[in-house]
Amino acid sequence: MAAGDDTRQRVLRGASECIGRDGMAKTTVDDVAAASGVSRATIYRLFPGGKDEVLRDTVGWEMDRFFLRLGDELGDAPDFPEFLERALPLARRELLEHDLLQKVLETEPDRLNALITVQQHRVIGAIAAYFLPLLERDRDAGLVAAGADLALTAEYVARLSLSLIASPGRHDLADPAEVRDLVRGELLGGVLVNR
Amino acid sequence: MAVTVAPVPTARPDTGGRIRDAALVCIGRFGLAKTTVDDIAREAGCSRATLYRYFDGKPAIVRAAVSAERDRVVAALVELGRAAPTFTDAVVAVCVEAARELRAHDALQFLLAHEPEAVLGHLAFGPGDRVLVAAGDAVAPAFDRWLSPDAATRAGDWLARLLRSYVLMPHPPVDFTDPIAARTFLELLVLPGLVSAGLPESRELP
Repeated sequence: MAAGDDTRQRVLRGASECIGRDGMAKTTVDDVAAASGVSRATIYRLFPGGKDEVLRDTVGWEMDRFFLRLGDELGDAPDFPEFLERALPLARRELLEHDLLQKVLETEPDRLNALITVQQHRVIGAIAAYFLPLLERDRDAGLVAAGADLALTAEYVARLSLSLIASPGRHDLADPAEVRDLVRGELLGGVLVNR
Repeated sequence: MAVTVAPVPTARPDTGGRIRDAALVCIGRFGLAKTTVDDIAREAGCSRATLYRYFDGKPAIVRAAVSAERDRVVAALVELGRAAPTFTDAVVAVCVEAARELRAHDALQFLLAHEPEAVLGHLAFGPGDRVLVAAGDAVAPAFDRWLSPDAATRAGDWLARLLRSYVLMPHPPVDFTDPIAARTFLELLVLPGLVSAGLPESRELP
């Protein structure tokens, strides 16, 4: 339903503005209604769970947009390993520069963490679905082992990429040699024909 | 090689240990927010006054309980890894045992289900960086028969990431508490990466 989707987008964009300005705790359904130009009644029809559901879906929507933007910037990588070698540092940089996310992380990390876990399954599914055709293309080109379980691989790479982007820990994603080792070792070592 | 001998477990743990264990029982039953110092004292079979001689409040008990649990699990994982005949067996044993510990941990599972913010704040983003670095360092000795210290630490880090995602987050496609499923998955996707060009000093013993 195109009209409903459009209204939904407006609500999510409005909620995103409110969160960026006031934080999650202080944002009310009235604020979202005012920011998006959509009535309270319509918001409750689209999000029966009220404020909690709006917040949760806004986090998911922001995460989806984040990865779509990333995909747009990286669309021309010749193969999946190189795509990842470019994607990981870029995603890490974008995450650190994402105003809304950084504001919420600073002021309301507990709230965000709870929402992100709820959303993580959905986000991993979306990233894995994006990775799968790239892996299939590499398999057809002979770069990825013919018998590899590509759906399982895509899901694994999605989970662990997300882990690296959110908490690189001891790894320096700004160092190309280190990222190359991670991509051709831990992430894709099991499926690449020649590492 | 110097071997650290764990203290022999006794039938009656010391009072501090009983209080820590009691706190975990209470959290597994009521959650973190609802557990009171009185609940913990009652469960431990000691008075409030005795409890306060050991800990200056609930946060101190919880910190001590978390750190004792971490040490207990890490010691078990390192021992399992070192006793394994091959590197592959060591990785499988460490992952399966860690997954079982996490799954069977009543306090942790209660919090993940009902007060996720109490746990996730320590595991995600910046705090996650610290936990993963600490986990890599702590578990590395499980693999030092086969890997250089750097490679062992790096392997420990990767397995900690793997378990954080596949055991603590919802809807994993593989159950790491099942040794056969865990071995199949690890051999397929993870182990080749741990003994690859990224870890040049790794070597598999027969």
